[in-house]
Amino acid sequence: MPRLMDLGISSVSENLTEMGAIAQRSLQIALDSYFQNNGLRKRVFELCEKLRSLEDEVGDIATEIVARYQPVAKDLRFIRASIEIAYIFWRSGRYSYDIVNTIEDIPLDQSCDKTAVLEMSSLVRKAMGLGLSSLRTRDETTVEKLYEMDSTVDTLYRRYLHNTINSDKHYDWRIRSRCDIRNILILRYLERISDHACYLGDCVFYLVTGMSSPRR
Amino acid sequence: MSRTLEGPEEELSTTRRLSNISDSVEVERPTEAKNIRPVKLSIRNFDAWYGAKRALKGINLDVIENSITAFIGPSGCGKTTLIRCLNRMHEMTPGATAKGQAILDGMNMYDAKIDPVTIKRRIGMVFQKPNPFPTMSIYDNVAAGLKLNGIKDKKLIDDVVRESLEGAALWEEVKNELNKPGMGLSGGQQQRLCIARALAMQPEILLLDEPTSALDPIASSKIEELVHGMKKDLTVVIVTHNMQQAARVSDYTAFMYLGELIEYGDTKQIFENPRMELTERYISGKFG
Repeated sequence: MPRLMDLGISSVSENLTEMGAIAQRSLQIALDSYFQNNGLRKRVFELCEKLRSLEDEVGDIATEIVARYQPVAKDLRFIRASIEIAYIFWRSGRYSYDIVNTIEDIPLDQSCDKTAVLEMSSLVRKAMGLGLSSLRTRDETTVEKLYEMDSTVDTLYRRYLHNTINSDKHYDWRIRSRCDIRNILILRYLERISDHACYLGDCVFYLVTGMSSPRR
Repeated sequence: MSRTLEGPEEELSTTRRLSNISDSVEVERPTEAKNIRPVKLSIRNFDAWYGAKRALKGINLDVIENSITAFIGPSGCGKTTLIRCLNRMHEMTPGATAKGQAILDGMNMYDAKIDPVTIKRRIGMVFQKPNPFPTMSIYDNVAAGLKLNGIKDKKLIDDVVRESLEGAALWEEVKNELNKPGMGLSGGQQQRLCIARALAMQPEILLLDEPTSALDPIASSKIEELVHGMKKDLTVVIVTHNMQQAARVSDYTAFMYLGELIEYGDTKQIFENPRMELTERYISGKFG
């Protein structure tokens, strides 16, 4: 017979699944917007708002579960991790929104090189997918892989920043600066999403083992 | 209470102090406390029976000094039997026997030479249902143990009664009606009176057997606050069916099942990350 608390726990679980899918979708739309140059700010904003509303809901249900059922052990860890995971998904969605904002606020120049964003976005999408998969399967071992990927992402970001700062002085700065500002901002938002994928891995590690992630 | 009671003291010279407690058995001790905090009471290879029925099976456990240890587990798991063994009350039940060591500050309480009365003086007990002496006043309830032990100094008894009632957070409520019957108090007050009665004997360890199960939430909360404050002066062992109470009030928790100690650890660890699947299932309400 299911416990009364299980109703609340499965409700939180469903919300997290939905949030993960929305966060992933937001990132995909933001990146499509970048590569295909189509303005999808409104759509990502709507998804972001949905994430915010679901995050509130997770917090409300979690609080109610604590107040009514005083969860312990795995239940308690799930509740604690859920609150953080909901925040992680909302933040990831918010960074996707920042990406589409940047795209629309800084119009694209045809000569702008997209290679760096292409390279990093591929990694970040994989990291987010891996994080979601670890949550679904409760696989605490993926945290190591996530941190490895994040390390590569960090390197890509720093390299682009370094190259931009030390770029050719004879270049047309009017064109170059707009492109670089746009890319640096987007790379930065992607780098933050990658960080949050790691935090997701940390949460899964805690949820499964009851211990803080060794990377923390 | 730091003052020493004057009066006839049981001669302890016959007690055999164990200088070397055997380390050959696997002893449960909370991780955090391991090698850091002193052990007040060591239970070694302890078994108890009611006739032919074995109620405790090879218990090994260290109770840490000046801490609160909670015993949890389903009905019939042996937690009450264990604490009754800890002040040698178990053997008062007809047909009940116990075997093993319970070492209090190096002295095996189950040594043949030990007088159980000596143990009861050092280890007090409070029961599930408040049980003030029905014909006695509040004052006499608290003073009864002292008088039974031959203490006649009125001033000393007055002081101990007051200190004990203060220690049980009851003084302010009863100081003007000490001569009224103890039974006239509310359930929660009666239980605190019983705690005061136990404190009057200045025990080193206080055993509480489901002390709040018959009380309303407000009275329970007062007892919990009281118990929490006691550990600076003594070592407390509490049996409870209330998981949240164990989580709130104790430093260490021992989970028992079918007469065995399944898991013993820091309360935070037991309730957040139990090592044993059985503990997890019990505290999460997934038992059976």
